[in-house]
Amino acid sequence: MIKGYAGRILEVDLKSRTFAFKPLDEEIARLYIGGKGYGTRLLYDMTDAGIDPLGPDNPLIFATGPLNGSVAPQSNRFAVVCKSPLTGGIGNATCGGSYAYGMKKAGIDILICKNKSETPVRLEIDGDKSEVTFLDAGDLWGKGTYETQEILGKKKYHAVIGPAGENMVLFAGIVSDERIAGRTGVGAVMGSKKLKAVSVSGSRKLEMDDPEAFKEYTKTIRTLFRDHPVLGHSMEAFGTAGIVKTTNARNIIPTHNFKYGHFDKGMSLTGEYMADNTLVGTKSSCIHCPVTCGRQVNIEGIGTVKGPEYETLGLMGTNLEISDITKVQEWNYAADDMGMDTISLGAVLGFTMELQERGMLQSGLTFGDAAGVPEIIRDIAHRHGLGNDLADGVKRMSAKYGGHEFAMHVKGLELSAYDPRGSFAQGVEYATTNRGGCHVQGGSMYMESVGPFTINPQNLKLKADIPIVQQNLACTINSMVLCIFTTYGIVPKFVHEMDPKSWQYRLAVAAFENSGPMFRILQSIKGRPMLWWEKWMTFITGTTISSGHLQEIGGRIFNLERMYNLREGLTGRDDTLPPRMLHEPIFKHMSSGHPLDKLLPRYYELRGWDAGGVPTRKTLDKLHVAL
Amino acid sequence: MRVSVEPTYEMTKLLKIDRFEVEIADAATVADVVDKTKIKVGPEFDRLVRLAAVAVNGVLVNYRQGMKTRLADGDAIRFVKASAGG
Ligand code: SF4
Repeated sequence: MIKGYAGRILEVDLKSRTFAFKPLDEEIARLYIGGKGYGTRLLYDMTDAGIDPLGPDNPLIFATGPLNGSVAPQSNRFAVVCKSPLTGGIGNATCGGSYAYGMKKAGIDILICKNKSETPVRLEIDGDKSEVTFLDAGDLWGKGTYETQEILGKKKYHAVIGPAGENMVLFAGIVSDERIAGRTGVGAVMGSKKLKAVSVSGSRKLEMDDPEAFKEYTKTIRTLFRDHPVLGHSMEAFGTAGIVKTTNARNIIPTHNFKYGHFDKGMSLTGEYMADNTLVGTKSSCIHCPVTCGRQVNIEGIGTVKGPEYETLGLMGTNLEISDITKVQEWNYAADDMGMDTISLGAVLGFTMELQERGMLQSGLTFGDAAGVPEIIRDIAHRHGLGNDLADGVKRMSAKYGGHEFAMHVKGLELSAYDPRGSFAQGVEYATTNRGGCHVQGGSMYMESVGPFTINPQNLKLKADIPIVQQNLACTINSMVLCIFTTYGIVPKFVHEMDPKSWQYRLAVAAFENSGPMFRILQSIKGRPMLWWEKWMTFITGTTISSGHLQEIGGRIFNLERMYNLREGLTGRDDTLPPRMLHEPIFKHMSSGHPLDKLLPRYYELRGWDAGGVPTRKTLDKLHVAL
Repeated sequence: MRVSVEPTYEMTKLLKIDRFEVEIADAATVADVVDKTKIKVGPEFDRLVRLAAVAVNGVLVNYRQGMKTRLADGDAIRFVKASAGG
């Protein structure tokens, strides 16, 4: 077996309550790494087209990668893959916490949960004994994710759902510790199987090809992280919330259901404000991560809990025009405890408020008013009353109540907190990402509107190229499985210290912006490992991995996801943005919205797809995507 | 004419305000607004400006005429500190 892998897949049948350990396929591991990549390959091969995402034929696949189980910083995530009940296409999400580490300790690379249980069930997996116990979970059903994990105890590593997953809220997630695999409704699929929790234990050690080199190199990377302006400083000081001030200043933070990109009262939602006013501590939240991006805040009557991240502050703060950060903290806790994605939740609340404003639905929910929000969060999680409609997400809400032009989703997945009208590459990424409107499947905005070295986000230069490179990279990061925030370490310290208004800075940015195809060509060179994840992959697996190798593997994963979506009935017509994004200007100098029509054909061409967005035979063959 | 200014969080600690308006001459530039603010706050403001990018109505002045970017009545000047995450 290739080093870095446990070599075992565990298949569990929830109906017959049987299980089997099977060998990991080395060829698939070479082609797709693990995590999301391996999971997508399995999903494609195991299922027929057109299955019901909430039916027994949709497998729920928990997948780790070769970096999990090591002590490499940020190597603590697992991927969940299934058909998405929210989009009808590929569903996947990754999650930090400690569960991925637990799976590898148990000697399991991948867990496939098939079929459905008749009654609530939980799994206890003892990797050392190679045993799976099916336990009644009736006593846990209905409980929140925090209480559930507390009851299950600290001796094992858990992945659990809350009431939102149990009630098949289409944007329910799966929780490990304080982290959530939030997007695309993976928690609803777990709930449809009546699977409340999976607990793993074991004492296996990860085998590496060159443990000494790994150890020495990891020490230097820990030092690099410690001294890095973002990974070492701003993430610890302000968490991901440190970004609110930036996106608010650059007019791309969703405000009033994405009608605007700036919230005048946004200062009180920043990471800096939180640090000075409501923060009681910082925390890693994910095992073996020195970055400590987790926030800790106090909630009256509850105690110290996880504080909100950037996305939550954007979608449930500025987007709803709520400036009281303590309210967002409370709602964030409630959503986590119910086990649902705060991005989709914030977007569906914003959409509902706009329906109310336009007189299209009387919900009592209005922008700038916190009244009714805690109640509707509970109602969504339990599918009570109007909450039952909101639980189906923005796309289905707009089909029922109207408002398609301001329904903020792509392929059914609600948009993240970066407005593409001020971030053109991010717009292309939203439109083309296989799981729908999400930012962590590439993070193009980092190069144009958020990071310390950003090109002009509002011209056409590199705006089709960046998403491809970033999507391919993210596919591999999510397959190793690393935290995507690791990529923020690429920009060296001296760049952060440059005066962004200086001629040197502007010259460097102009050179990058005008590099044309060089940007992609340089990334595609198969050479020596340079960046830390390439070196870790090389030290652990024994196979040389460089940027070029990852671009190829990432392209393969991305195209397989694409083929899955096409098989499930999605087409190039789904590669679009909400009408508000395409037609409503948000900047003073703009006369329209995002220029997707000018960028999409170029994106297809660079991907090797035909004019309808279908990968050509030649592209699939070149990438060894077997169908 | 009048423009609004939103400082970085660090600047707000010096200025004791998170948003203010400035009266400027016609054809004034971003640099003029910085100079005007500096008179009020002192040289420490300069150091914080050096660490920040500046956006006018959400667009970085880097993509326009830098600190010499001309302002119009009602413009919003926002200082931005690069950061990451989310
Ligand atoms: S950077 Fe934050 S989210 Fe990523 S692994 Fe570390 S603690 Fe977890």
